Amino acid sequence: MPQTSSGSIPLRKFGRADAKISVLGFGGHHLGDAPDEKTAVEIIHQAVDGGITFYDNCWEYRRGKTEVWMGAGLKGRRDKVFLMTKTCPHGRDGSLALLMLEESLRRLQTDHLDLWQVHGMAFDNDAELFIRKGGAAEALEKAKKDGKVRFVGFTGHQNPKVHLAVLNTGFPFDSVQMPLNPFDANFRSFEKQVLPELVKRGIAVLGMKPLSGHGAAIKNGVITAEESLRYAMSLPGVTTTITGIDSLDVLHQNLQIAQNFTPMTEPEMQQLRDRCKQDAADGRFELYKLSLQFDNPEARLAHGFPLDTQQSEVRDMLGATMNTGHPFPERKF
Amino acid sequence: MASKPEINRRSFIKGAAVLGAVPLIRGGSMAQQSDPSQQVPAGEVPKKPLGRTGVQVSAMGLGGYHIGSAETDQAAMEIVAKAFDHGVRFFDNAWEYHDGLSEERMGKALQGKRDQAFVMTKVCTHGRDKKIAMRMLEESLRRLQTDHLDLWQIHEVVYDNDPDLIFATDGVAEALQAAKQQGKVRFIGFTGHKDPEIHLKMLSHDFPFDTVQMPLNCCDATFRSFETHVLPEATRRGIAALGMKSLGGSGELVRHGAVTPEQGLRYAMSLPVATTISGVDTMQVLDQNLKVAVNFQPLAAAEMQSLRDQCRFLASDGRLELFKMTTKYDGKVGREQHHFPTTQELPI
Repeated sequence: MPQTSSGSIPLRKFGRADAKISVLGFGGHHLGDAPDEKTAVEIIHQAVDGGITFYDNCWEYRRGKTEVWMGAGLKGRRDKVFLMTKTCPHGRDGSLALLMLEESLRRLQTDHLDLWQVHGMAFDNDAELFIRKGGAAEALEKAKKDGKVRFVGFTGHQNPKVHLAVLNTGFPFDSVQMPLNPFDANFRSFEKQVLPELVKRGIAVLGMKPLSGHGAAIKNGVITAEESLRYAMSLPGVTTTITGIDSLDVLHQNLQIAQNFTPMTEPEMQQLRDRCKQDAADGRFELYKLSLQFDNPEARLAHGFPLDTQQSEVRDMLGATMNTGHPFPERKF
Repeated sequence: MASKPEINRRSFIKGAAVLGAVPLIRGGSMAQQSDPSQQVPAGEVPKKPLGRTGVQVSAMGLGGYHIGSAETDQAAMEIVAKAFDHGVRFFDNAWEYHDGLSEERMGKALQGKRDQAFVMTKVCTHGRDKKIAMRMLEESLRRLQTDHLDLWQIHEVVYDNDPDLIFATDGVAEALQAAKQQGKVRFIGFTGHKDPEIHLKMLSHDFPFDTVQMPLNCCDATFRSFETHVLPEATRRGIAALGMKSLGGSGELVRHGAVTPEQGLRYAMSLPVATTISGVDTMQVLDQNLKVAVNFQPLAAAEMQSLRDQCRFLASDGRLELFKMTTKYDGKVGREQHHFPTTQELPI
């Protein structure tokens, strides 16, 4: 018997804008790990009922499967949520970004997005490629002007310096997404280098990777999932914390934390930073800052980096070429 | 000798030599190798001062890793002998290369030549203490069949917390000083391929390093640059700079059309360095290297700038300098000590 989770989650103001979003956001990538579309739809329904209003996704996740499933789950509920997806030009032309937007809208079964972000700013020249003539910056402006998206932003998990370089292009972003967790505080830190800058500029702060990616630190017993998630949600200035949800169990755990959320005190947070400091020092639990394995193949192709055939996104990509007749062939090779 | 142990690091190269890949990719044939224009000219690799040590070393050094990649012991012996005959006197190695095979082969190849060679190897504590460093030193000396090293360097300083671990009480920095005092090593230094900031953090400890080894190539000048950030600081401190990865580590700069092998090597060797260390695992690669290094004349400043400009686009996101961008070049022992996943679990 599926547990239902009616309830509400605290809301926070989305930067300078006249909009509010739930302090916990639904991460779209993991939705693709649900066993089938029916389960995915049920997860979305319960998430909406449970008070999550912020929905994350991306054009390149799982060859489009996560957008299609989220679109199915939000059918009839679109007006209750703040829907975001990302575009993946990775330095290529703005015209390509706009084609991706049309495809995302189709898959998500909607005529507009609440937020459209440029995905995965990771490389040292990404800022320059974004702002260049004909680059993605022009696509963001056009989509906003045409009323297809309400707000625009960018995301990335590699390097605070890259985030600062993109901010320093002067483009009027409404939001910025980045990793925020107790390990980040002591290693190439977005919390220390980027968060204060966003607060200063009135840009909405979207935290991600609250469990430092794949949760290695939790599996190793360094920290609990609840501590890590609460830390991320408690950071002064953060608007929402996006966490991946691939099952009803995970959803229910997250809803419980978010519905009863009270921020940690600063001394509690400092204690957690100190506890994680030693393990944070070489980035061992933040591999997304250190390894291209966490970058999507679209980015790697656009930047000329070699593909890693063991990576899940690449296996999806190769699987998609096998013409099984199914829209999203599972990895059977 | 036992069969060549596979080491995770760089196993993706699969024997594709640093320069050897070039003729393959360009569709070159064996005939190309016997082309008289490929012959190494008469003469020697010139010498350059090693910082303020008063010692001179050959402007090109023979990389130790690839000596372990050569197909047979015999092939490795022949490479070292021919390099030596043309004036290469700087011999690089590391305790962890091919689980000791590189040092063993080098020791055997340098028998009878030890006094004329400048022998370097590296210690691979990767955060562990002085005692382990001293044990590695004894093992390296035994494998290299010598009672002293000319240069002993801390290997692969690539993780953000490595400087802290190295200079901790009882850390490897103390081992370097002890070994120097005991006369087991003449000079000391450190190496790393990842991030100029980590190198600068190492230098900021004001430790009496004689040398510092770093990647130097035409792309580095544009991207997270050791040439711009570290080389001037080393020079200012009178520390000898040793260049490596002149073609990207596995010939990436050449394979992706940024430079020819000759341009890449000449650029690296023209920088204010004591030597440029280049890995060689076949005679063909050695000949290509020696053609540049024998009677070497540095490039003019304008030629250097035109090579930087030529590489700027491909350099700007680090796509050809994978040792900076990925974990591909980070060795097995260092990963283990830092609790990082293996190359199988985390390929790049």
